Amino acid sequence: MVEKKFWDEEISTASRDKIESGQLERLKDTLKHVYKNNEYYKKRIDEAGLDPDKFESVKDIEKLPFTSKEDLRENYPFGLFCAPLSEVIRVHSSSGTTGNPTVVGYTREDIEVWAEVLARIMYDVGTRKEDVVQVSHGFGMFTGGFGFQYAAEKMGSLVVPISGGNTERQIKIMNDFKSTILCSTPSYALYMSEVGERIGADFKKLNLKLGFFGAEPWAESMRSELEERLDITALDSYGLSEVIGPGVSCECLEQNGLHINEDHFLAEIIDPETGKTLPNGEKGELIFTSLTKKAFPVIRYRTKDICYLMDDKCACGKTFIKMSKPAGRTDDMLIIRGVNVFPSQIEEVLMSIKDLEPHYLIVVDRKNYMDTAEVWVEVSEKNFQEKIMKLEDFEKSIEDKLNSAIGIRIKAALKEPRTIERSKGKAKRVWDKRKNDQ
Amino acid sequence: MGSIYWEDEVETLSRDRLEKLQLERLKKTLSNAYENVDFYKKSFDDAGIDPDSFNSMDDLRKIPFTTKDDLRKNYPFGLFARPMDEVVRIHSSSGTTGNPTVVGYTKNDISMWANLIARDLYGAGVRKNDVIQNSYGYGLFTGGLGLHYGGELLGAMVIPASGGNTERQLKIMTDYNSTVICCTPSYGLYLAEVGKELGVDFEKLPLAVGIMGAEPWTEEMRREIEQRLHIQAIDIYGLSEIIGPGVSCECTHKKGLHVAEDHFIIEIVDPKTGKKLPPGETGEMVFTSLTKEAFPVIRYRTRDLSFVNIDKCVCGRTHTRMAKPVGRADDMLIIRGVNVFPSQIEEVLMKIKEVEPHYLIVVDRKKYLDTLELWIEVSEDVFSEKMNELEKFESLVEHKLYSAIGIKIDVKLKEPKTIQRSTGKAKRVLDKRKGEAL
Repeated sequence: MVEKKFWDEEISTASRDKIESGQLERLKDTLKHVYKNNEYYKKRIDEAGLDPDKFESVKDIEKLPFTSKEDLRENYPFGLFCAPLSEVIRVHSSSGTTGNPTVVGYTREDIEVWAEVLARIMYDVGTRKEDVVQVSHGFGMFTGGFGFQYAAEKMGSLVVPISGGNTERQIKIMNDFKSTILCSTPSYALYMSEVGERIGADFKKLNLKLGFFGAEPWAESMRSELEERLDITALDSYGLSEVIGPGVSCECLEQNGLHINEDHFLAEIIDPETGKTLPNGEKGELIFTSLTKKAFPVIRYRTKDICYLMDDKCACGKTFIKMSKPAGRTDDMLIIRGVNVFPSQIEEVLMSIKDLEPHYLIVVDRKNYMDTAEVWVEVSEKNFQEKIMKLEDFEKSIEDKLNSAIGIRIKAALKEPRTIERSKGKAKRVWDKRKNDQ
Repeated sequence: MGSIYWEDEVETLSRDRLEKLQLERLKKTLSNAYENVDFYKKSFDDAGIDPDSFNSMDDLRKIPFTTKDDLRKNYPFGLFARPMDEVVRIHSSSGTTGNPTVVGYTKNDISMWANLIARDLYGAGVRKNDVIQNSYGYGLFTGGLGLHYGGELLGAMVIPASGGNTERQLKIMTDYNSTVICCTPSYGLYLAEVGKELGVDFEKLPLAVGIMGAEPWTEEMRREIEQRLHIQAIDIYGLSEIIGPGVSCECTHKKGLHVAEDHFIIEIVDPKTGKKLPPGETGEMVFTSLTKEAFPVIRYRTRDLSFVNIDKCVCGRTHTRMAKPVGRADDMLIIRGVNVFPSQIEEVLMKIKEVEPHYLIVVDRKKYLDTLELWIEVSEDVFSEKMNELEKFESLVEHKLYSAIGIKIDVKLKEPKTIQRSTGKAKRVLDKRKGEAL
């Protein structure tokens, strides 16, 4: 038997007409589903005076209002769910603030769709039953680990659900279990390569051949590093929990743009200032509408990621439109070791501690290929005198509070009063040393 | 009203039919092991066992035991009975610097496992409308993914909170209206304590059931947990070598853990002589799997001590109950759900040349959480170095231990010749949880 080239050839190589007519049908169904099952969406569709049955092309989606992360937060925790909770079998969530994290839900059918879209991605770039997939993304509320776990299991590959951390052990297992595929953040993969070199692992001799890297933006220069050091092909995988998790889009072996799973997700690019839709090829903010999700459909969700759409015919044979590698954010969100962090979250924690002055600076860096974050904050004069002996304990209690609120460890460094530079206009709260120009 | 059983027929099968089913399945398992695993072929041949002429349960005792050592010697995949392309999952015990024990699952094994957990959850009163907060660690440890797949199969909403970040766990519990918590009993008590400090009123929360395992716990501990969290605390037992959690579990009567006898045979043996002990007598539990494909185990010695009760349970289930495990037949410590052998620690220490061969492992329970401290002596010349060098050295040793064993152990350097010398069998472990003192 000849092995099939695509997981689902009919879908992955459909004509543009067929893709769009399928999208239109599913868009109408999705709109009717949210209208019927969720007050919030009903109100918004009524306010816009829309009748989904009258939609004639996917372009009609432009008449719909956007959904933002704030909308999700306001409806915390389950306000935007469109299926009864008894039908929801999974919940994931973004790293929370001291306020509310964004929560997303899945029905059994949604979980299957998720596994399907990512299994398709993995198969189409050469993953097979015989492969050993080392999933080094974190498991838990974060979608990264589970996404790849279920997809690889559906394909019948061998999954090693090792989760993040304990790098020497990761390398031992990569060697002993003959892992062929690695799923992680690109920065963690680079860190593994470094630790591996230090302890004498020879990546040329290991079985590792392919990496799916995502959860943070990365540059072509990083790709060259990864491919050379780990002796693999490195692919960019994109997704966010609000839309489904990993599986929204991924590069093919051409490594020139990420094919969007268009039968399940409808992408648009808009001008982030005016909200106007931009033509293919022009850079702007990426917007997604889910087409098949039941528990947590999203309508025109603003990802705040910046990229452009590429409608050239791809040599791999897939007809799904591509998005360029995400190249930045429209907001001040930082991505630290794959976790989304807003400076406002950090501020909120600091301001809830009474002995601190309202002067702080978040210093982000990359050391040994790993993101590090430190927050410099001033203590009040009185406290600095009194508590000088206990500053270390105080720092640790701040670190614990930050970890509770944000979900990662950020080092707290207490500074003497009046040593952090004051702003003479818009306060500079972040010093991101990972960007050379700062 | 629904049934009180997940699977009416098999859970209440008459003993006759259950034992017939066991014998049938045992024969298949023995052939699977004999035909596909060199280790078992050799061990059966040596003992003169012919799987084809195996005809009575009494013959089981003629088959040699399998030990953890056998697993280690066949690292990583030597005991697998299926080709790797049929294996879809790997789990592993906390490794030593040598080899961890590795277990594999086919798709059928994963489904069977999920069904067992669903049966246990259902038997504890959990239903589709429940919200399960799964605070077992995810990753290579079987606890997280085991409970996860079972809860999902049952159709309850699963929150994959994973371990740690206690304040966030409590926020999730409050905001998502969790009705079921899955975690180690010691973590359950810790949640209660932190919750109390933060003003969480457990009496008002919808939390109703705790599914708690991965470490031995007493009836006194159950009372504490039930009172503080206002829940029913159910004991679940399992180990990755057999399948993970789900080998046995209490029903709501909480008078012993029903062993899933349609999938596992339990025997109690004298740990010294290996002789089978009658019901009611305490000895080492030995399990044989009956349906597993990728990793069948024949007479596996768990080193856990317990006894069986063959009286019929008032719940109507006919499956034999085992008593709550009362201890270990070896020196294994269970620290926050992770298995640790003193020999693993010793192995790491002996590779560090500055460390003297005198050490003491101090185990305690602080705020309901197990703590592990390791006292070591360094040579005279190292000790005379500066204080911050010593701290660096401590953290180097901690890092090496973490890499090898997978948990954080607090290392304390002691002055030369301060750790008590043995005058016979060296005392390497001081378990303050058991009231031991220096």
